[in-house]
Amino acid sequence: MDATPIPDAQVALDGVSKEYELGGTVTALDDVDLSLSPESYTAVMGPSGSGKSTLLNLVGALDTPTAGRVVVAGDEVSALSERERARVRGTEIGFVFQTFNLMPRLTAVENVALSLVFDGWDRERRRDRASDLLARVGLGDRLDHRPNQLSGGQRQRVAIARALAADPSLVLADEPTGNVDTDTGAEVMGLLDDLQADGNTVLLVTHERRIASHADRIVHLRDGRVDRIEAA
Amino acid sequence: MADGSMDLREVRRLAWRAITAHRLRSALTVLGVVVGIGSVIAFATFGASVQAEVVSQFQGTSASEIYVAPGGDSEGGGPDEADFARPAFTDHDVAKLLDIAGVRAVVPRGIVPTSSITHGGQTVARSRMTATTPAAFSADLLVEGRAFRSGAEEVVLNEAAAAGFEPNVTVGSTVTVAFPDGTRNLTVVGIAAGTRGDLTPQFAGATPRFFLPADPFYRTVVESPTVGVDQRAYPQVTVVADAGRRAEVKAAVAASLEDSDAAQLLPDDVEISVQSRTDVVEGVQSVIDRITRFVTGVAVLSLVVGAFGIANIMLVSVTERTREIGIMKAVGATNRDVMALFLAESATLGGAGALAGVPVGVAVGYGATRYADVGFALAVDWIAIAVGIGLAIGVLAGLYPAWRAASVDPIDALRYE
Repeated sequence: MDATPIPDAQVALDGVSKEYELGGTVTALDDVDLSLSPESYTAVMGPSGSGKSTLLNLVGALDTPTAGRVVVAGDEVSALSERERARVRGTEIGFVFQTFNLMPRLTAVENVALSLVFDGWDRERRRDRASDLLARVGLGDRLDHRPNQLSGGQRQRVAIARALAADPSLVLADEPTGNVDTDTGAEVMGLLDDLQADGNTVLLVTHERRIASHADRIVHLRDGRVDRIEAA
Repeated sequence: MADGSMDLREVRRLAWRAITAHRLRSALTVLGVVVGIGSVIAFATFGASVQAEVVSQFQGTSASEIYVAPGGDSEGGGPDEADFARPAFTDHDVAKLLDIAGVRAVVPRGIVPTSSITHGGQTVARSRMTATTPAAFSADLLVEGRAFRSGAEEVVLNEAAAAGFEPNVTVGSTVTVAFPDGTRNLTVVGIAAGTRGDLTPQFAGATPRFFLPADPFYRTVVESPTVGVDQRAYPQVTVVADAGRRAEVKAAVAASLEDSDAAQLLPDDVEISVQSRTDVVEGVQSVIDRITRFVTGVAVLSLVVGAFGIANIMLVSVTERTREIGIMKAVGATNRDVMALFLAESATLGGAGALAGVPVGVAVGYGATRYADVGFALAVDWIAIAVGIGLAIGVLAGLYPAWRAASVDPIDALRYE
C-alpha cells in the first residue's frame, strides 16, 4: 500500500470504497482517503446521499468496506471478525445518535453502563462509573429515570454519557442536535466541545453549517467522494 | 476487572426485565408450558399411583408360591378362557410335583357346580364352590377353626361368605348345600381369609367363597394317559416352595410338567405357564407401565404446543426489539451476547412453566387418585424429566428467534423507527 496513512492517526481511511447491491450497484463511497489525528475535531458535511452515514458506519466498525482499509485506534477494523469489531465498538468508540437510541426499559444509569455490561465489568463498578459520567453531563439527579421520564436534551446528555462510558478514544456523533431545540442543541454541542477539549477525538456528521463550525476541520462529501476539506 | 465477557447475573436480570415488561403475554406463554408439563406429570403420577395400588394387591401372597395353569399358546397369544379352565392336571401330576425336592405343598384347585346353600332357614343361590385340598389353608390364612379333612363332609368359608347370612355362619354349625345330584349337610369347620395361590387376597377376600375338600366333592375326572385310570383333574395348581428355593423349584416344576398328564391332555398349541408371584407382578407392572407411557406421551404433545408458544412470542419480541438489538451491538454486544440474552429469556419462560407445572401436575394427579379411589404415589422420575424438558423446550424454542436477534444488522436496526 503506497498511500499509507499517517502512522499515528486516530482514524485512517485508505482508498475506502463501499458499494451496495440495490437492484444495481450503488457506490456510497468511492476511493476515500481520510485521516483524523488524535484529539482532533472533525465535521463531515454533505447533502443526503453523499455518503456521510456510510462513512460514519465504517469508522464506527458497524460496517466493513468493499475495498480499502479502515484503521481505528491502531486496529484495522476492515480485517476484524464480527466479534472483534464488537469489542472495538464497545471499548474504542462512543456513539451519539440523532434519535438518542436509548434502551427504553433501562434507567439512565443502566443505559450509560450498558457497554460496560458487555465488557464484563461488575455491577458496582458499572454503577459508579455511570453515575460519575451522568453527574458530569449535569444529570446527577436523574440517575434512575427512564428515557420517557426525561426531556429530549436530557436524553441526548444520557447518550453522550453512554458514549464516554468505556473511555473511548473516538466519539462519533451523527446529527446530535437534529432532534432537539436550538438552545438544547447548543448545550449538546457545548458538551461535545468539552469532550474534545478533554482529549477525545470527535467526528461529527451534520448537514448544518452552524453545527459543523464547532469543529476544527470540515470535510465536505459529494457523491461518495471527498469534495474538499476546509479549516474552520 | 473487565474480562470482555458478559456477567451471567446481568444476563438473567436483563432477560427478566424483558419478560416482566410484558407481564400478560409472558404469563400466557408460561401458561402454555404449565399446561404441557402439568398434564405430563398428572398422567404420570396417576399411572404410578394405579401401579402402586395394583401391585399392593399382590403383597399379601407369599413369594414362595408358584402358579401353574394352562398358559398362552405357542404363537404367543394369551390363554383363551376355555384353555384356562381346562382340567388337565391329574392327581398323578399333583403327586409328581409333590415329590420335587423343596416343594412344601401342592394345592390343586377346581370348580364344583352347586345350586344353593342353606343356613339357619336362609337359602342363598350359589352356582359354584372351590374344590381344593387341606394344604390350601396355612395357619395364617385361617381366621377361625381348622382346615377341612380330605374325605370328610366339611366346608370352609371365607369371611365374606360367613357374613352373608343373618346371623353369621359360625364354626361348628351345619350348612345344607344343593349339588346337581342332591343335597348334603356339611359341617363348617373353619373360616379362612383365603387360600394359598390367591393372586390378589384383597380382591379375593371381598367376594363370598366356599371351599370344599376335593375328595369327595370334586367329580371332574379324566383318564390319566400315564397310569391309564380315571383320576381327578384340576385346571390350576399352586406349588408352595420352601423359603429361598423358589427359583430352583420353579425350574424343577417346569421340567416335571414336560412329561406330565397335563402336557399330554392339553392341545399341542397350549403351553403350561409356570409363574411365581414376582413374574405375575412384573407382568402387571409392565402393562400399566406401557399404558402410562402411552398416555404420558400424548401429554408430551401439549408440551410441544407450549414450545411453539415460546417460539412465537420470542419472534415477536425480536421484531419489537430490533432497535434495542442495534443499540446493544453499537455499544459493544457481540452476536453471542445478543443470542445469550434471548436464550436466557426463552429458557426463563420454559423454566418458569416447568416450575409452575410441577405442583399443578401433582395436584391434578392427586385429585385423579382421590377420584379413582387409589393410593397416591409420586412419579419422581417423570417430574425430573418434565422440568428438564421444560428448560430444554425453552432453549430449543428460543434458538431460532435468538439466532434471528443475533443476526440483526445494527445499521438497519438503528435506522429502524
